[in-house]
Amino acid sequence: MGELFRRIQYLLNRRQLDRELENDMQFHREMAAAAGRSNFGNTLRMREQAREAWGWTWLDRLIQDLHYAVRILARSPGFTFIAVLVLAIGIGVNVAAFTVFDAVALKPLPVRDPGSLVRLERRSPTAYTDGAPYTSLLFYQKNAKTLSAVMGVMGVPPMQVDQDIEHANASFVTANYFTELGTPAALGRLFDPTREGDPNTAPSVVISYGFWQRRFGGDTSAVGRTVHIDGKPATILGVLPYAFASLGGQGPDIWLPILQQPYFVAGSHTLTDPGDSAIRLWGRLAPGVSAKTSAQELRALTNELRRQHPNDIWDNEYISISPGGHMQVMQPEQYEVVAMVAVLTLLILAVACANLGGLMLARAVTREREIGIRVAIGANRARIFRQLCTESLLLAMLGAVAGLGLGCTVIQIALTQLDAPNKWASAVPDWRVLLFTVAVMFAAAVFFGFMPALQIARQRQHKTIARQILVGAQVAASCVLLIVAGLLVRATQHALYTDPGFGYQRMLSIDPYLGHHGYSPAAAQAFFDQMQARLRATPGVLSVSLVKLPPLGHEVDRETTEIAGHKVFVYPNWVEPGFFQTMNIPILLGRTFYPREKNAVIVSRSFARQQWPNQNPLGQRLGDDAATKSTVVGVVGDAHINALSDSDATEQYWSAQLDDLPDMVLLARTASATDSLPPIAKSISENLDPKIFPEIRSLKLLYHDNVSGIEKAAMAVSFIGIVAVMVAGIGIIGLVAFTVSQRTKEIAIRIALGAKRAQVLAAVLRQFTWPVAIGLVSGAGFAAAASRILRRALYGISNFDPAGYALAIVVLLAIIGLAALLPARRALRLDLAKTLHYE
Amino acid sequence: MPMSDTPKPVTPSGALVLLILRVLQSGSLHGYAIAQRIHILSSEVLAVEEGLLYPTLQKMLVKGWVTAEWGISETNRKVRCYCITPEGRRQLEAELSDYDRVTQAIQEVLRTA
Repeated sequence: MGELFRRIQYLLNRRQLDRELENDMQFHREMAAAAGRSNFGNTLRMREQAREAWGWTWLDRLIQDLHYAVRILARSPGFTFIAVLVLAIGIGVNVAAFTVFDAVALKPLPVRDPGSLVRLERRSPTAYTDGAPYTSLLFYQKNAKTLSAVMGVMGVPPMQVDQDIEHANASFVTANYFTELGTPAALGRLFDPTREGDPNTAPSVVISYGFWQRRFGGDTSAVGRTVHIDGKPATILGVLPYAFASLGGQGPDIWLPILQQPYFVAGSHTLTDPGDSAIRLWGRLAPGVSAKTSAQELRALTNELRRQHPNDIWDNEYISISPGGHMQVMQPEQYEVVAMVAVLTLLILAVACANLGGLMLARAVTREREIGIRVAIGANRARIFRQLCTESLLLAMLGAVAGLGLGCTVIQIALTQLDAPNKWASAVPDWRVLLFTVAVMFAAAVFFGFMPALQIARQRQHKTIARQILVGAQVAASCVLLIVAGLLVRATQHALYTDPGFGYQRMLSIDPYLGHHGYSPAAAQAFFDQMQARLRATPGVLSVSLVKLPPLGHEVDRETTEIAGHKVFVYPNWVEPGFFQTMNIPILLGRTFYPREKNAVIVSRSFARQQWPNQNPLGQRLGDDAATKSTVVGVVGDAHINALSDSDATEQYWSAQLDDLPDMVLLARTASATDSLPPIAKSISENLDPKIFPEIRSLKLLYHDNVSGIEKAAMAVSFIGIVAVMVAGIGIIGLVAFTVSQRTKEIAIRIALGAKRAQVLAAVLRQFTWPVAIGLVSGAGFAAAASRILRRALYGISNFDPAGYALAIVVLLAIIGLAALLPARRALRLDLAKTLHYE
Repeated sequence: MPMSDTPKPVTPSGALVLLILRVLQSGSLHGYAIAQRIHILSSEVLAVEEGLLYPTLQKMLVKGWVTAEWGISETNRKVRCYCITPEGRRQLEAELSDYDRVTQAIQEVLRTA
């Protein structure tokens, strides 16, 4: 330590110390001269040697090299600008992607002690659910010694506030939720375990900052007011802060105490039913307790719980504990997407680097004389190599700074444009992002600087192989990006311009959530019968029916079966006989169900085709055991009502039974626009049962929301792909122009001797043919392998969609061709006499 | 000053450090005096060259074995004098015992081989 300290002192006082050293030597020489000796060496050199002992020579050299590099770069501002721009794009895209990942998965939430927050999920070797029953929450809360607190959140269907047409998103939370997170109230107070922990406290609600602004115009007198939530009066206790960080990144408008859930949702048994896994659990580890210890204790507690409720706790069930102090608790499937995005963004960096490497090599030829002189006056290869690397590093630094700025700007724009619910997220880079940027900077410097520097230091810049490798790499990487972009664009088009197989234009889904209100099947039947009859009587309503899993709904059920060795996703649904007519789904073969028909199934066309190729599907059997064994009574058109993005989806419809009724949803198709129907439906429902506040949604809006999300993603990827291709194009233009300028004389001689123009062009461009071909093939292969992951995002498009691939390759070839021909044309317009007389 | 015909240059690395530390043990000296002292004490066999002395001194400064302070030379000139530090003394002891061990070993070989 002391030595390092002294070294740094020497660095700081180097001028003075150098003078002192000079003085020492001067004195030495004087004395030696007086003694009659005069064989001194080169004093400057000796002083340098002495200084080397301080251990800062590398720094001197680095500074020297940096000075030199700054001069070199300043002398060719055009090159520097292009290089920094290309790098800024390459690095900026990566910084932006990492910033998002950081915010979602790495950055601790701005809450009290985020490190000890954990997410608790029910798992067994064969099952998983993100919810747990309230009775389990109470049990763990009471008995777990390794957890200092257990918090629960229950998302519920949107609720009506007073008479608002648009319902507010709502969550029930345990009373300790806000105190455990250490959230201060922006106004009023938040839930307090000593008060809202008692079910008999006056009903209350906490509202989000955004809701307070939107609905109350930021009026401070909103606190203390009484509002009616689904018709039940409740007092507004307080307002959450603007930048409130919730667990799991949820952002509902209104928060209600979970103990008052039976009051707000009349007839519900959620708090007492040990089979109702509706509550997401979070915990806080007790001080000094590790997640592992806690997991052991919870496993023992779960075993005890199983003894109490043998039907509701799975065999081998345990509670998995994962770090909960981030915006999102990452699941393994999500890492797949992260890896995919990372590969794409790194490819852009690779294109940028390969590009810059080519430019550096080309520039080296023009710098031949300079480097030649430096070698001639005694610089060795290592020194020149180091100098070139310093230059690359300086470029990379400039690029990284610009890229950081670019990435953060993009994120800032995205944050304001998308109006993200997590207001605490910011585009200002934290230390992780900065560290990442530095790492990317070094990686980039190595990628684009190392090989050219090596070639140049060995004075081999005329060798074409390095250039060919760089061109090949660029083409391959751009090819992958373009293909992925092409596939996404095609997928969007498909989603936008093809019929999804069901009518969504003038369709409403009306969900009364009867089950949540404790309706019995018979009561539900009575309710729906009345409601359907009255809706049918409403002018403009063409058709009404019931379905269990409504199109584009909150819930999706998916099963996987294997047909002839390949995996097929089956989306089951339970419907009333009139469903197909209401939804405009054509019945292709057979008939629809009879009411409450048992052991009958209707399948979609794709399913029938895959399961029974070239056979009549009618009369075929599905299911193995007696209870589910069913006969196919009809085949209907494909309608991916809950899997717009899954082209492989197939559907199976079962006739809804009496027991399904409390969970059913009404569908209504109207003759003209649906605008006038919601208030009517609402009043009908209120008339039938004032407890019920149906959620009414327009399928058209849902459909467009769904599609626009994919559209945005496709646009972003296409944009990135086009940027990558542009960057590659610039690089190829540069390389070909350089090749032409290098071979001017040869070309002139060929033309003078009577070569045809096409032959000349071919001769110039031949060296790029193979790299481009190899690049295209390997790029397409890689894209095919990688896009398997994308498959689920591709709306109705196979990941081997030939049109997507062909389009990408054609565009890429066109750009490469253009980039090659533009500068190559110069070769054909040479002034022969002048060129040949030169030299 | 009598000059021997072939003053041998001190071999670099360890030996010079050892000699410098040893001559500084009895008091601080400036660079030239260090060279002189070694030259004279070695009966004019060893010569310390300027080009080796100063880099070595710099290295010892950085290591913290010696410190430098301003003094006045016998010719009345401002010059830096080097003096040994406690750390330098420890280093000297270590190097001395090392040296003893190595010379003994060499002696052993020479005697018995």
